Amino acid sequence: MIPRPPTARIWRELKSAWAITKKDARIYYLRPGIIMFGVLFPLFLFLSFAIGRNLSADVLVPGLMAISVFFAASSIGPMAVPTERKTKTYERMVTAPVSPLSILFGEIAGGAIFGAIIATIPLVIGIAIYGTRIANPVGLIGALILISFAFSAMGIMFAAIPTDNPGDVMMILNFIRLPLLFVSGIFIPVSAMGVYGVVALASPLTYAKDIIQYALTGAGYYGPFIDTLGMVLFSGIFLWIGVYLHERNRKAG
Amino acid sequence: MKAISVDNLTRDYGTFRAVDHISFDVEPGEFFGFLGPNGAGKTTTIRMLTGLSEPTEGTALIMGYDIARDTYHAKEHFGVVPEVSNIYEDLSAWNNLMFAGELYGLSYTKRTARAREILDIFDLAEFRDKKVHGFSKGMRRKLTLGMALIHEPDILFLDEPTSGLDVESSLLLKEILSRMNREGTTIFLTTHTLEEANTLCNRIAIIVKGRIAAVDAPENLKKTIQTTQSVEVSLDSMTPRVTEDLAAIKTVTSSRHEGNKLRLFTPYPGDVATAVFAYAGEHHLKILSINTVGPSLEDAFLSIVQKQRNHRTGEMP
Repeated sequence: MIPRPPTARIWRELKSAWAITKKDARIYYLRPGIIMFGVLFPLFLFLSFAIGRNLSADVLVPGLMAISVFFAASSIGPMAVPTERKTKTYERMVTAPVSPLSILFGEIAGGAIFGAIIATIPLVIGIAIYGTRIANPVGLIGALILISFAFSAMGIMFAAIPTDNPGDVMMILNFIRLPLLFVSGIFIPVSAMGVYGVVALASPLTYAKDIIQYALTGAGYYGPFIDTLGMVLFSGIFLWIGVYLHERNRKAG
Repeated sequence: MKAISVDNLTRDYGTFRAVDHISFDVEPGEFFGFLGPNGAGKTTTIRMLTGLSEPTEGTALIMGYDIARDTYHAKEHFGVVPEVSNIYEDLSAWNNLMFAGELYGLSYTKRTARAREILDIFDLAEFRDKKVHGFSKGMRRKLTLGMALIHEPDILFLDEPTSGLDVESSLLLKEILSRMNREGTTIFLTTHTLEEANTLCNRIAIIVKGRIAAVDAPENLKKTIQTTQSVEVSLDSMTPRVTEDLAAIKTVTSSRHEGNKLRLFTPYPGDVATAVFAYAGEHHLKILSINTVGPSLEDAFLSIVQKQRNHRTGEMP
């Protein structure tokens, strides 16, 4: 067999990963569990805290966008991977000539695209009802891509929990996601958290909300550099742990 | 080059050894059966050969590529049909095939051409745009096989492919597998159905308690237990007394009921048949049927499994 150049292999891996992304979009985006845990639940949770507090659109829209991406992007992996373990379709991907990293990239891209689409809903509402303006449109697109990727990678990391029941993963994931809402400057600004603001630094949602706020209003708490650095760092950590755990599961057979 | 070359393959789960230093080769174009009782290590072996789990020790080469080290190239050469039809219920037959083609890096032109061909071969063309959740078990099985064949693999791994299928679907599937094998595809088949292995396979490996007990052609395996010839007899009256008398005929080593027939195992079937005729005449019984039967693959399988179990039990402290 004539050895293929590495670029051909990379191109093929990317095409396989894209096939996985398309498959996830076709199968999982409209699943009731995704609509419930990824879209409606965070929306109503946010509204229950926001309504009556007289929050300005500059706080409301970035906060709602951040939690929309957070919940939507991180829900696809925990729904898709355990379901596919149960139906053994995950094994189909593992027995194909596709690297474990490409499989996970495909799954992550599936969640990321979903997260980015869902984030546009509060943005459109913000523009239509509150007259929200986007100070940095290019920055907002870049931020949404980065944030969606990070949170989808987080979902994939949790999907490594060796179970074939999506509910098991969702339960553990919500155990982590819900407390993060309260320490990430969504409901209480980080500036008002005093010494407890240190806790916000450990939450990826903090940087997500801050960078969206910066892109929309031109002002953020940490600034775009630290926010971007934080999101890149969390993306790398989630991806690394995710690949490690999924490979460990495979080797364990 | 061997299609599959397995050397000292071992798999431990904690302290339990599921597969214990097994070695065998499969030639290109061979139809190779992998048999064993439940829990013998068949599925663990096939999982290691297809890259779904890693061996604790030993190597498995697929068309010369080590499945653990050169996984990518090894996987390009095979397709897998697991025991469960692993297809996407929410996708149509066509989209399932397209997805499989994309995973194997086929161009759009190639995968659409192959998908059309597969849908025609498996009589699924009229269902191409239907979602799979409305498919019968036979249709799902055919689609699973079609997805495994989309990239025209050199080797096909099949885990209990006809399990749960009706007779017609099972026969159709076996016919397709035979044709593919004649056209050059190497087939590695695990099955519980000995008749299936007997009619399809060139060679058979029998695995018992994680170890290979025998690897040979079905006819050679049968020859290893030539002593278990038998006489199959059916009389118009098969009372317990008659059964007892027939089982007591000299040189009959054991007997077994098979429906309304009695099978008498003996190294001398001719003598036993003569004795049966004499007994029927004496007791005014009518012989409905009488046949001498050579050892079946089932007999060989049971004999090998029993010997291996006794051997392993003898090893225990």
